[in-house]
Amino acid sequence: MDRKKSEKEPRELPESHEPQEGAHLSRRDFLEGTGAALGVAGVAPRLGVAESRTAVVAPQEAEAVPRTRIRLTVNGTEHRLDAEDRWTLNELLRDHIELTGSKIGCNRGECGACTVLLDGEPIYSCSTLAVWADGRAVQTVEGLEQDGELTPLQQAFIDHDAAQCGFCTPGQLMTATAMLNQNSSPTAGEVREALVGNLCRCSNYNAIVEAVLASTGSGGAP
Amino acid sequence: MSQEQASRPLEAMNTVGRNVPRIDAYERVTGKATYTRDVRLPGMLYARILRSPHPHARIRSIDISRAEALPGVRSVVTHETHQLIYSSGSVAGGRQYNDAAKDITTHLRYMFDNPVRYVGQPVAAVAAVDRHVAEEALQLIDIDYEELPFVIDAERALESGAALVWPEGNLALDYQNQARPMVRRVGDVSAGLQAADRVFEDRYTTAFVQDGQMEPRSALAEWHGDKVTIHTPTQGISNCRHDNARDLGLEDHQVQIVCKYMGGGFGDKNGSYYFDLIAATLAKEADAPVLLELTRKDDWLGTHGRWHTIQDFKVGVKQDGTVTAIQMHGYSGMGPYLRRSGGISGIEVYACPNTERIIYPVHTNRMVSGNFRAPSDPQGFFAMQSMMDDIAYKLGVDPVDFAKQNMLRPTEDVRFTNYTMEECIERGAQLFDWQGRRRPEPGSDPGPVKRGAGMSFMMFRSGVGPSSAILRVDSEQRYTLFVGVTDIGPGAKTTMALIAAEELGVPLSQVEVVWGDTDRCPYSVGESGSRTTTQTGYAVVQAAIDLKEQIAEAGVPTGDEVLIASATPTPSTQGRRRMCFGAHFVEVETDVRLGHVRISKYVAVHESGRILNPLPARDQIRGAALQGIGQALHEDLLYDARNGHPLTAGYYGARHLTHMDAPEIEVTFIETDDGFGPYGAKTVGEAGIILGPAAVANAIFNAIGHRMRDLPITRDKILEALS
Amino acid sequence: MKAFANRNAGSASAAVSRAQEAIGRGQSVSFVAGGTDLLQLMKDRVVNRPGSDLPDVLVNLKTIPGLDDVRLSGPDAFTVGGMMTLDALSRHTVIRDEYTVLAEAAESVATPQIRKAGTVAGNVCQRPWCWYYRNGFECHKAGGSVCFSVRGENQLHAIFGGGPSFIVHPSDLAPALVALDASFRIVGPDGQRFLSGADFFVLPSEDAQHENVLRDDEVLVSVELPIRPSEAGVRSAFHKVMDREAWTHALASAAVVLEMDGDVCRTARIVLGGVAPIPWRVPEAEEQLAGKRITPELARRVGEAAIAGARAMSRNAYKIPLTREIVERTVLSLAASA
Repeated sequence: MDRKKSEKEPRELPESHEPQEGAHLSRRDFLEGTGAALGVAGVAPRLGVAESRTAVVAPQEAEAVPRTRIRLTVNGTEHRLDAEDRWTLNELLRDHIELTGSKIGCNRGECGACTVLLDGEPIYSCSTLAVWADGRAVQTVEGLEQDGELTPLQQAFIDHDAAQCGFCTPGQLMTATAMLNQNSSPTAGEVREALVGNLCRCSNYNAIVEAVLASTGSGGAP
Repeated sequence: MSQEQASRPLEAMNTVGRNVPRIDAYERVTGKATYTRDVRLPGMLYARILRSPHPHARIRSIDISRAEALPGVRSVVTHETHQLIYSSGSVAGGRQYNDAAKDITTHLRYMFDNPVRYVGQPVAAVAAVDRHVAEEALQLIDIDYEELPFVIDAERALESGAALVWPEGNLALDYQNQARPMVRRVGDVSAGLQAADRVFEDRYTTAFVQDGQMEPRSALAEWHGDKVTIHTPTQGISNCRHDNARDLGLEDHQVQIVCKYMGGGFGDKNGSYYFDLIAATLAKEADAPVLLELTRKDDWLGTHGRWHTIQDFKVGVKQDGTVTAIQMHGYSGMGPYLRRSGGISGIEVYACPNTERIIYPVHTNRMVSGNFRAPSDPQGFFAMQSMMDDIAYKLGVDPVDFAKQNMLRPTEDVRFTNYTMEECIERGAQLFDWQGRRRPEPGSDPGPVKRGAGMSFMMFRSGVGPSSAILRVDSEQRYTLFVGVTDIGPGAKTTMALIAAEELGVPLSQVEVVWGDTDRCPYSVGESGSRTTTQTGYAVVQAAIDLKEQIAEAGVPTGDEVLIASATPTPSTQGRRRMCFGAHFVEVETDVRLGHVRISKYVAVHESGRILNPLPARDQIRGAALQGIGQALHEDLLYDARNGHPLTAGYYGARHLTHMDAPEIEVTFIETDDGFGPYGAKTVGEAGIILGPAAVANAIFNAIGHRMRDLPITRDKILEALS
Repeated sequence: MKAFANRNAGSASAAVSRAQEAIGRGQSVSFVAGGTDLLQLMKDRVVNRPGSDLPDVLVNLKTIPGLDDVRLSGPDAFTVGGMMTLDALSRHTVIRDEYTVLAEAAESVATPQIRKAGTVAGNVCQRPWCWYYRNGFECHKAGGSVCFSVRGENQLHAIFGGGPSFIVHPSDLAPALVALDASFRIVGPDGQRFLSGADFFVLPSEDAQHENVLRDDEVLVSVELPIRPSEAGVRSAFHKVMDREAWTHALASAAVVLEMDGDVCRTARIVLGGVAPIPWRVPEAEEQLAGKRITPELARRVGEAAIAGARAMSRNAYKIPLTREIVERTVLSLAASA
């Protein structure tokens, strides 16, 4: 599908209610719930979101989830939308503007698969809120190729077999892109330092570094 | 039928043996590759799983009424609402589709079980309009647990008085539903020990290692009448369909499995699990497509990893260095459900005439153990070859000479399709400069930073076996290859295409591959056991030969005509062992005052038959070797013994290697063609992980003069050992 | 995540007002800067502020102008804005040249992506990374009254100053800031106050639930660095030991600031990280150096003095020789860098 053309115009998502200052959960109920659960948790720890609560908490009323109207540019296209305040930037990109290139490997800043560029700087899109990107420019892996032409880095990733399963690849590409924008002829050591926040469980680290170096013209043949 | 064919020299090859970029590399570098969570269906719901916070507990009651009342929640399922058994309820290893096993086992695996037997076990699941609502709903499920005694330590689990994971006891049931250890005896180990001049005894242990593939599990299920489509990351779409059909009470044709791209597997994604069933169940209940997403922690604790082991050795040796007996008694910690055998390999690479291996696969209330790349091997080779390295130094012998003196070689009784184990060792020693880098006196470097060298060697099965392929050609000479492969990372799709191109004698660009969809592809063995290239690849060769014959007979199709060929070969090596071989040589630099280990050189020599596509083959070895280093130096899943709770789930906790932890791995292939497999190709994917832990541990010994017997060899252990 | 409202603050006092208003409405509030850690706690539903529920409101401090740089704030101080990113801090020329220990500490934190988002204030105020706390155990740090490490797994836990909680302070900047004698500028309902490191961080014996004195409606706005006259010959360095090459917290770290007169050390400040519930100053080791020429033997004695009061738990004894070694090496390397 020709996404580029369809997204040249700013896209507006359906109108939604403005953020409401008073919109919040009933803290008292929730506190009681927590307090009772803590009695159990003294022995049995909670397991992340999987904790079961034994306390009586009234069913949550259908209160409005706080949202904020934001405007941001993604791969050169402006988007205006009402984002839930709790959405991460990654959720916004993947679920609400259908750019699924950036991946969720851990959703907690440990792996780097979600890396995108925010005003040109690599950040974990799982670890920043969408509303914090208001007024800023985001670049994702989908925004690297221009007019059907891959960047030298993307081509080097192909030529040097830098993607095995490919799941970490979008993140590796974005971090490396940002680094190369700052330093066009890095050493292997500098590449490793710059990419250290991007894990690859296929452990294709050697090939990724070779590809980044090759894209600068300083790497050897595959 | 015997498969053996005449060898074809590399010069005669058009496509095989040349570097071929992956045919889907463009999709992988542009974000266009569609992984399971990238699929979007209209009206799709999001699902989350509630998991047990207890290592062992009975659920007295479970109340979902508040969760169901939460606006946006569409379906809540628990053990009270659905009692599906997953993976056909099979028992011991390798029999994941065995109905007979399902009939006799007393250890059924339920999608939601009661009692729960490990922290992280599913107890309920919710489908809702978005993932946040689903998560909120989990908080509203009220469960009354009766906590039960639990056991975490595999050895203690077999002692009398231990908490019982199952009423029958904690020794795992085998596929005949019998509680008994795995025993393998050759010769007479007692006589062998008596005949020895010296007997060496030691205990080695290895830690649990999560496969930790980057893509967490997920499953997207959609029903069309009585047929269900499940998008799911699986290492074998055919087996996945078969398992899910049985578990859901359907016929195979009622289940469609789709897996176009997947973010790694390493064994974590073979064999079916509860995820697909939960997604299918919720989708049916909610009457809408359901995407079940596992969080990283869900995935870490709710899937499986390599079993941790305890291995006790007795090895008898003659004064002249001949090993007369090897005895190994081991415990494999399997968690509460047996996903795989719990085997521990390593003895079989020695020619010793008297061996005894007794392995107790033990149930504990830890998370489940299962397949991870060469499931039985790195832990076994670490212990066995650390033991042998230690003996060599105690005898004052070079470990390479000791290995060559005692390793398995072809005999009249032990026949191979070919044999290069010694060549791998010799080539590795030469490339590595073994004599120059090894310290004859371990720990002898002056100063706090000490270097040392270690090695290990192996063979690994590279069998042949059944699989299928379909090839079609149209009048425009477009060849379409239908193979039931997915691509977990090694490049199976590309490999299948280049085999077809080679056999057909056409450019790769003329071959299109249809893959990853059971409604469109024939049976494939699946991406496990390093079998795709050798088995499905061989079927592709046979289909191409058939197609060429048809073209020779009927001519090239014209107009709307197509020609279609298929093959389902069942080759055999007729009693000969088909193995791949390898040797790894490692130099480490150890700062003994900081307990820090740096790998300063790593040479991996492998014989995997013909290398079909050199770049991905090299990277399979490099990546696997690095995973082996991770197991050697970092990875573990620490449990708190007092409350049975895991503490180090996730990449941060398990200290997975980063770019800066990864040394350069120098890979050399010794290329051969034994006449089997496609053009003599053998397995690559698993072989590379087997040797790292042993070679690294042996190098650390050579550097610091202290034997590290427990994986992972972390900084604290080194400092404590030297204090 | 549980639903919450993000509220951008325009000034520190406005941030405090926002927080007070929300608290007054019965809501739970957290201040947020880079969010790289807070969001994970929220996803995991781990208690961030003991006694408070998961946040209903996040007061975003990054929107406060003027807090993202290093400024000369008077004749005797540089001010490092609390919202300055760790990446910017580590690259700042003044910091690199004059306060090397701080630049090195900043660049040792986590990963480039986290340093691009994570801030000075956030790093100093992050909650502990103890695996019990992070896994949702009801420990002191989550508002409970147990430290599970005492009878459990304590490989990463404290060898100094522990009890009743044995967490180690997770910040890499904190030891560097204390070694530089920084003061911490706090804005709260009653205006601003400046606290020394000794007054800002609190031992568990004083308050087992918190790592510092900040109240729920107080913000760490900036840190003030005393100006180093260039003729003072100040040299400083940070040495962090991890159990992989990047992206873990310190097993042990040493922040060392030496005022040198040729090869003689006039004064020294040595602060340890990763080994105590607060940045751990070791005066006995500092005294060893005062007025002395630094030799390998002296450095060895300094290392020994640094671990004088250490007490191992069941599984963290290795931290004692490790700490001694990095103190010795850091002192020696600074002496050699003349």
